[in-house]
Amino acid sequence: MNKPGLSGQRRLERRWGVLMALPAILGFVIFTAGPMVASFVFSLTDWQVGGTPEFVGLGNYTELARDELFWTSLSATTYYTLGAVPLVLIVSFAVAMLLNQKVRGLPVWRTIFYLPTLVPAIANVVLWIWIFNPDFGLLNSLLRQAGLPAGQWIYDESMAIPSLIVMSTWGFGNTMVIFLAGLQGVPRHLYEAVSIDGGGAWRRFWHVTLPMMTPTIFYNLVVGVVGTFQVFNQAYVMTEGGPNNATLFYVYYLFRMAFRESEMGYASALAWVLFMIIVVITFLLFRNARRWVYYEMAGAR
Amino acid sequence: MRRRDLFRMGGLAALGAAGAACGSGGGGTGAAGSTELQFMYWGSTFEKAAIEKMLKAFEQKNPDIKVKPVFTPDEYDVKLNSLVAGGRTPDVGYVPMSMSFRLAEQGNLVNLHPYLQKYPQLAGYLPDAYLWYGQDKLHGVSTANEIELLWYSKSAIAAAGLAPPPAVAASAWSWDQLVENAYKLTVDQNGKHPDESGFDPGQVRQFGISISLTYAAAWYGFLRSNGADFADEAGRKCLLDTPESVQVFQNLQDLVYKHRVAPGPGQLAATGDDVPGTNILLKTKRVAMVVDGHWALLDMNESKVDYGIGVLPKYGEPFTTSQVAGASSVFAGTKHVEEAVELFAFHIDPRYVDLYKQGLWMPQERKYYEDQAAIDSWTKNDAHPPEFRTAVVDYGRDHGVPDLRNRVKNLSAISSDVLTPALQELESGKRPAAEILKAVTPKITGMLQGWQHTQEP
Repeated sequence: MNKPGLSGQRRLERRWGVLMALPAILGFVIFTAGPMVASFVFSLTDWQVGGTPEFVGLGNYTELARDELFWTSLSATTYYTLGAVPLVLIVSFAVAMLLNQKVRGLPVWRTIFYLPTLVPAIANVVLWIWIFNPDFGLLNSLLRQAGLPAGQWIYDESMAIPSLIVMSTWGFGNTMVIFLAGLQGVPRHLYEAVSIDGGGAWRRFWHVTLPMMTPTIFYNLVVGVVGTFQVFNQAYVMTEGGPNNATLFYVYYLFRMAFRESEMGYASALAWVLFMIIVVITFLLFRNARRWVYYEMAGAR
Repeated sequence: MRRRDLFRMGGLAALGAAGAACGSGGGGTGAAGSTELQFMYWGSTFEKAAIEKMLKAFEQKNPDIKVKPVFTPDEYDVKLNSLVAGGRTPDVGYVPMSMSFRLAEQGNLVNLHPYLQKYPQLAGYLPDAYLWYGQDKLHGVSTANEIELLWYSKSAIAAAGLAPPPAVAASAWSWDQLVENAYKLTVDQNGKHPDESGFDPGQVRQFGISISLTYAAAWYGFLRSNGADFADEAGRKCLLDTPESVQVFQNLQDLVYKHRVAPGPGQLAATGDDVPGTNILLKTKRVAMVVDGHWALLDMNESKVDYGIGVLPKYGEPFTTSQVAGASSVFAGTKHVEEAVELFAFHIDPRYVDLYKQGLWMPQERKYYEDQAAIDSWTKNDAHPPEFRTAVVDYGRDHGVPDLRNRVKNLSAISSDVLTPALQELESGKRPAAEILKAVTPKITGMLQGWQHTQEP
């Protein structure tokens, strides 16, 4: 005989389920959702640290549109993203394909290529400062020995972001591992079919590897774009947004407004605008993906 | 040893630890009526030791007060901002000039004006030391008088066969003399000078001179010496585009790109934009002469550098930037205002603090610049070289002009948003000073809010 509503056992299970999930729920509400709501409220105020918040409606957002440095930071960040994301994708995909071959000592090579990822972020940055030093840096020393022109790298307005883009490829290990996992999931019978029909390595790449890898490429693209739009460490440790605001990345500008110039309301508005920008870009990427990302299972998307 | 015995010993150890914790906890509470203050400060490792010694001296003199030092060598402004936002400010400490006026206007710092009567030595300070934020509103003083000087390596000067930079303002080098001597002091890896054929500017072993372009205190004295200033009398119009201002900045840029006697951006950098201390630059002879603040004296002595001190070169009348320091203040959040002000007065009183003898600080009281016995009390020791009296004491007293950070309202925002980027462009050498300054001056004018208030104490 069935009672109406949930059985006692089900009700008990639900209660315990919620109870067990409570740490995660509370963690999200208190440390993520709460601060998000608070920062939105702050973004509607004129609030300097140590003072009293004063409600100004959308004043911070209109001020932001007129702020030359806001556009400078957006421009610098976009430039960095457009350079770093494709380069990292290409390099990590190429290395992943190399590491997907059957060669002796494969685990050693995979480990070697992954190692840079293990270097802590700040240590990584300090290391590259030494590489980029105009006088005794590794890069200029090698270039001089080869008789090539040396550069000012991060100390030159026009070379600062390209330098950081090159530097960003050094930590491609995570992206590479994801590509490697994807490559190992490509069905062997597809390669055999192409070979039977007389296709060579290039055709196998273009008609099998690339289409089958489009979901993984798409994933790494989205993660890369979201990550590079929030680039911070390089500006914070290396360049402080210089020279002449050439590397004034968006999050570094946000940090400066919040903790150096103490404009918490304005910084909160900057944070929300960045959030909206990333949401829009991600949405556009997902829409665009319909045209080029291939999923093996029909209807999977 | 049997398992049971192991457990028994473990238990005893745990009990012992608990007992120790109770004991130390009890000790921490202290006797009834005692006060605990927090003193927050920045500095090098040498300065840390000196400040801690000063705080211990204060505790000995005031047995009922305990002081907890809060040493913050990096990101001081970020940390202090976080403490202000969290309502957990220290009681007394250094406050960066970039934020001290704002905190004062917000009511976060104690108005010290009423205390000048109780502490008469505070009323006898050099006029520029006071940090007024309104009529009869005093939020602190510059922690110490600090001026910009020409530090040099004696052995580098001797090796080049030059006379040392003058230690008397009346004999100060002209700018042209500085350049001329910097040529002789600059050598590449093959020993060639910049005016010799074959000189390799990419492989310089020793630069003749280093003067920061992005650090206003380093060039403000030159600006004034050339009859220029940052802003007009009302503090509302930026004057960096006047011919006299442009000349100063063009000369600084020329040191790097025309004369090649000074390092360009990044050439001295070891960790990002951080340049090694002047003591390191001179000791390694990476640079022969450096414009840096008086505070370098402590590290010079601790590092046993073979250094000398000269006055800055001049255009017209010699000037040097003075009061180049952060503020010392008492925070309004303190629960012990009287004790905090007592510590405030103590930590900058040469009678009780040996930082002046050690060379880190210069006093603010006038008598330490005018009364011979008072001057001797802090300068007659091994830490102060023979030329100190004329190159620093007399020079600072007679030729000091207060740092812009103490005087220009809104300078923090002006600097980070407009001035520093422009100076960085100047530093890159891609455009002449006139072009850059002509473009940046109207922007600065748009952000100027006047000079800070001044008055008699």
